[in-house]
Amino acid sequence: MISNMTPNFSPVTITGIGSVSPYGPVAGLIPQCALEPSAITAWISTGLRRAFIVQPFRPASVVPGLKTRRLDRLSAWALVASSLAIKDAGIDLSQIDRSRVAVVFATAFGCIELTEAFYLSAAANGWNGTDPSTFPETLASAPASHVSLFHGLRGPNVTVSNKHFGGENALMQAASLLRHGQADLAIVLAGDALTQSLYSWYEVADLLSPACYNSDPLPEAGGFIPSGGFIPGEGVAALVMESSVRENVRSGTRSYARILSGRWAAGGQPVEIIRQMFGGSIPSITICAGNGAPCATSSTTALAREVLGEDAVIMPAQPFAQGLTGTGALFHLILALSSQLKSGPALLLGTAGDNGFAALELELL
Amino acid sequence: MLLTLGRLPRLTDPHKTIVVTGVGVVSPYGIGLDGLQAAMLSGKSCLKPTKDVYPGFEGSIAQVPGSVLHAEDFSSRYSRTDQLAVLAAQDAIANSGCDCSVFRDSGVLMANTVGGLTEIDTGIAQDPAAWFRRPGGLLRGSSFPVAHVADAVGEHFGIRGPRCAISVACASGAMAIALAANMLLDGAAPIILAGGSDPLCPFTLSGFNSLRALDPSPCRPFDQNRNGVNLGEGAAVLILETLAGAIARNSNVLAVLRGWAMTNDAFHTTAPHKEGSGLADCIQLSMEMAEVSGDDIGYVNAHGTGTPLNDSAEANAYETAFHGRHQPIPVSSTKSYFGHCLGAAGALEAAITIMAVRSGTLLPTLRLTDPIESPGIDWLRREVKRQPLPLAMSASSGFGGSNTVLIFGSGRP
Repeated sequence: MISNMTPNFSPVTITGIGSVSPYGPVAGLIPQCALEPSAITAWISTGLRRAFIVQPFRPASVVPGLKTRRLDRLSAWALVASSLAIKDAGIDLSQIDRSRVAVVFATAFGCIELTEAFYLSAAANGWNGTDPSTFPETLASAPASHVSLFHGLRGPNVTVSNKHFGGENALMQAASLLRHGQADLAIVLAGDALTQSLYSWYEVADLLSPACYNSDPLPEAGGFIPSGGFIPGEGVAALVMESSVRENVRSGTRSYARILSGRWAAGGQPVEIIRQMFGGSIPSITICAGNGAPCATSSTTALAREVLGEDAVIMPAQPFAQGLTGTGALFHLILALSSQLKSGPALLLGTAGDNGFAALELELL
Repeated sequence: MLLTLGRLPRLTDPHKTIVVTGVGVVSPYGIGLDGLQAAMLSGKSCLKPTKDVYPGFEGSIAQVPGSVLHAEDFSSRYSRTDQLAVLAAQDAIANSGCDCSVFRDSGVLMANTVGGLTEIDTGIAQDPAAWFRRPGGLLRGSSFPVAHVADAVGEHFGIRGPRCAISVACASGAMAIALAANMLLDGAAPIILAGGSDPLCPFTLSGFNSLRALDPSPCRPFDQNRNGVNLGEGAAVLILETLAGAIARNSNVLAVLRGWAMTNDAFHTTAPHKEGSGLADCIQLSMEMAEVSGDDIGYVNAHGTGTPLNDSAEANAYETAFHGRHQPIPVSSTKSYFGHCLGAAGALEAAITIMAVRSGTLLPTLRLTDPIESPGIDWLRREVKRQPLPLAMSASSGFGGSNTVLIFGSGRP
């Protein structure tokens, strides 16, 4: 087994939600509606290619005064999503100590759009002729930096990346900062943007679902896309997380869920570790946070059945959030909360090959 | 076992005390801390003309010797970032005196900023699909995400605990160590290999060149006539665990991580706060965690990039944070020896800080002839200073305003 150690984890509460996704910019839960992938027109001129794409919008129309002209879309979305989450939490930043607010951001590919633009400028002008305003915006940490800068947040600012569990990892790192008193409140974000090179990589690697190449509607319920592969997606989700002590101080705070503990590992014996995490009180609900790989989806379901039993309620991975590969966990959680799951204990579970897993013990409120 | 560090508070809870039980480095001096120490004590600079490696660029860089990296030793999926990280982890494991199997359930927390950009050329921008269809194109593209380096280290050594990469510009390497310490206190893993790795590549050279941040000459951190940064490459990995775990394993404790803190300036995307307020806060927080005062810190290994803005802000931060100290705080920048290794810098400088507390040697900043006027700072220059050093600090900052400060103690009982 990984270790005999009992994870130390103080409960933290999710008090605000914001997102930018193919559902649009949304504060709070995402209204339930069927989501179909859109045809890509930005770089596909012949044939049909589909993906879950964020439709263009003016960030300043959602967050007055927001300037995003020179930013990667990922940075712009992080700014909008964080603003919506803070608004949803009912937090007036001018009334709190912003040196005690952390930002934790998960991304698999970072600011890939401007990275491509930087390569394009190097191809056109040589490495000595690149654009100085673009370079700092290519950094994977740029979105989190902009969130701190825009909101004046002076606590820890962390950008994490994990091939399969970026979102879960961000939640756990943020919970750790709160637990250790390194922040009182954390803005947790996760997401990625889709670009031509990323889509091309998926396509050449033969990872795409047949649904990317036809206009057939997706299966209505259950969420599993047939015939393997996945439909790439893009967007950023943001959560406001507070230590339960602080949350109790704020009157009238709405709480979506409490995170009680979490574990993740690249291998080992996940069933044993997850059962150990729950200490004998196994929840009846699992929210699958599988990424795009078909094997990950099926292994997540199988692991959930093994841990929770055949009678457990399993919320299947949502196709859009699957399309975010390593950073979909926050959307999986938001979409599950949006589906009016009954309150009580739950497991947010993602898996990867070779027994890799990430598991978060939740209390849905 | 209790550790007593001079007059400093005793470390009473071995479960809440984080110790370093292995240090591995790959630097322009080669592999290993001993070689690095010997070369730096001799005052040897590794900076060479950039144009010798990257025609068209001026200035100086410091490159890891070609003899160190043997492609046949690595999976073809590994980028140069991955290779440097694997070598540093290998060195850290060897330094710990343990077999790889000891680390099977450990965590890996590796920082970088470049990821697999070393493997990608401008052709990808014009026709990505064709680029990926080239021989090896998919493999080269797959190393692009910054997370790849953590997986490379984990896979190479069969480590199957929690794996994660972080990328926080030039504070990355130090922040990986700070977050790993948090994770150890959380019980996320019994041991964590934490550090940073970043190679030289045209992308970053071009970026810093476009910002006019590169000094055409060998850099002069903290000098009034400083003119910019020189880039370097390398990797460093620390093996971290709780003191309780180290005692149980009978590990050799090399140093104690006494305090750590992370802040953000929230001021500008590339420039630090002029007064260095974010870094000053970070220093204060790290000293609060360590339960020490400014007088207890014997040396600061500074971020010290050599850029006009960074170094003046950093000097202001030290003046603020160490205000009230009885003697000026000794400060030097070891980037003057082998450049700024970006995502690896904080981890390499943590290793150098550990080296300082273990040996009681304070390295000077090279080429520092006319220091910034700061009465509260003892700018170390010209010669190596030798003195007992119970505690030393390593400070890192980066684009986007992130700061991380680590405080190390010698760890000698």
